Amino acid sequence: MDMSPYRDLFVSESRSHISAFGELILRLEDSPGESAVIDELFRHAHSLKGMAATMGYEQIVAIAHNMESQLSKVRNGEFALLPPLADLLLEGSDALARLTSEIESGSDSGEDITELVERLSSFDPTAEVHTRYPATVIHSDAESHPEPSTPRTHQFRQTDSFKSIRIRTETLDHLVNITGELITNRYRLAEAVRLADAAESQESLHQLSTLLRNLRDVVFKARMLPFAFIAERFPRLVRDLAHKQGKEIHFQLEGKEIELDRGILEEIAEPIVHILRNAVDHGMETADERVMAGKPFRGTIALTVRRDKDYAEIIIEDDGRGMDPERLKLKGIEKGLISPEQSTEMTQQEAYQLICMPGFSTTETVTDISGRGVGMDAVRETVHSLAGVLKIQSQRGHGSRFVMRLPITVSIIPALIVQSGHIEIALPLNVVIRTVELESSEITDESGRPTVTLGDKSLPIRNLRQALNLPTTPAPESDLQSVIICDIGTTLAIGVDRIVSQQEIFVRPLRSPLSHLRGISGATITGDGRVLFVADAGALA
Amino acid sequence: MSRTVMIVDDSLFMRKILRGILAEKGYVVTAEAASGIEAMKNLHTNHPDIILLDIILPDSNGLDLLGEMIAVCPNSKVVVCSSIGQPMVMQKTLELGAKAFIQKPFTPENIAEVLESLGD
Repeated sequence: MDMSPYRDLFVSESRSHISAFGELILRLEDSPGESAVIDELFRHAHSLKGMAATMGYEQIVAIAHNMESQLSKVRNGEFALLPPLADLLLEGSDALARLTSEIESGSDSGEDITELVERLSSFDPTAEVHTRYPATVIHSDAESHPEPSTPRTHQFRQTDSFKSIRIRTETLDHLVNITGELITNRYRLAEAVRLADAAESQESLHQLSTLLRNLRDVVFKARMLPFAFIAERFPRLVRDLAHKQGKEIHFQLEGKEIELDRGILEEIAEPIVHILRNAVDHGMETADERVMAGKPFRGTIALTVRRDKDYAEIIIEDDGRGMDPERLKLKGIEKGLISPEQSTEMTQQEAYQLICMPGFSTTETVTDISGRGVGMDAVRETVHSLAGVLKIQSQRGHGSRFVMRLPITVSIIPALIVQSGHIEIALPLNVVIRTVELESSEITDESGRPTVTLGDKSLPIRNLRQALNLPTTPAPESDLQSVIICDIGTTLAIGVDRIVSQQEIFVRPLRSPLSHLRGISGATITGDGRVLFVADAGALA
Repeated sequence: MSRTVMIVDDSLFMRKILRGILAEKGYVVTAEAASGIEAMKNLHTNHPDIILLDIILPDSNGLDLLGEMIAVCPNSKVVVCSSIGQPMVMQKTLELGAKAFIQKPFTPENIAEVLESLGD
């Protein structure tokens, strides 16, 4: 029988078994002995074995079979699932993941699994804990599957496999593009109707708008995935890093059911990994240091996702040592990023932002993720490119908190269209707190920096023209200046010549060489057919 | 008349393979279920000639499910299909009323042979 038509399905189903398996092992470490979890683990290994046997993938069968056998002993009460076995099972599931990827790509690394299979089959919990490779191999009775005789206590789980189908992600991307183009076209049509003064077209135009809004919502909904999609590897990452450094860390994950656009999830995974790594490497103290500081010996890192209207907030908090703003400032001066004068004027908030400046991270804070260096500057850049905002809070001795506020969908976003000099530019609305009109006299000069005072707060103000390096044109006649107050982690005021309108725009990415333009994150087409650049608000600071 | 089959397996992969084999061998798959609860719900409206049952399911003990199925549909022939190949488990399923046991991995011929042997 030709099994090749079933290969893709095998790969995707194996992956879900493998990732569920990894997650369950970690859960079991937190609450050992939970029999429903052991049953689940057993079932995943068992299903995978059956599928692989059907496809004729012997290596997967061998690993899954031995994992299943050990779990079966745990289920039987022969021994508990203690860390050495958990490690070994995770190692097994890693090998399964690699083999599955090889099947998917059609490659063959020639990985020798004999030794792993040997260790899995001969695992003996009574052997000395430190001996990972027992000198004498004890052949266990691998076939002792227990019979599931007691009814399981956990709930029935409803599956809806007949109500859903699989769609290629390219198809969904294509749908978003078409919807975006339709929205752009609607603006053009509206403009034409207005110019032609064709009142009789108003009704159908209005209907078209309503339908388009529905279409947009449905298309976006189809692209949404729960945060769990990327979160599965985080508990394992924190656990492994903590083990490696001999730190005791409890990892909490909340809100993994919150849905975000697939594209956003893909982009944000690495920044999260980076922040988590930093939290383990630098934020968290060792157990000894913690006890000395009067804290529980076990530190906590919490990753929380929550929904706030059209935004999702991803919050990474630790109860570690926190950051010292004075030390950050000193380092900033040392690196030539700020002057000593600037450092004295800096608020604590601003000092924390220093870690996101390119060049601030030293080798010790740059980690290597999938072959490329990622620092906090790259994290901030990614968040901004997704039209999001990164906030950093910290309290010395008590921990740090990173908040990434992201729109839950991409591409079609509300924006403020502003004019500066000869050009119009779109500014994503999510960073805008409010807009004000000020008289030129209200802009004062404070030690060489133009500043505006709003209420009891004084803010640095920057003209959009300078920020984007546009040629300076004579200031407009008007004595009034439009100012947009933005929150991009810190609050700042941006001066523009005129606020033109507010509308929904479909952001298209720019290709090289335009993609290298600083301060620009994309482009959009307006209702009257012009191309507008979209400002990268984060780069305006 | 072709005989009707219901497939109960939590793996879409397995269901799809079985569906392919059964179609080729001239059986009509009238229902599929990915869980015990789904299977039982189905059996209230659908009485297939044959039920192909994987006894390891996410939501239920396969042996209990087997008993319930036979109670609800005494005329359906239940064939247990599993990679648990211990004689003890096989024996138990047959005692509970299963008509045959197919060990995974199976070949299309295996399936055809076992289903043929069930008679009418």
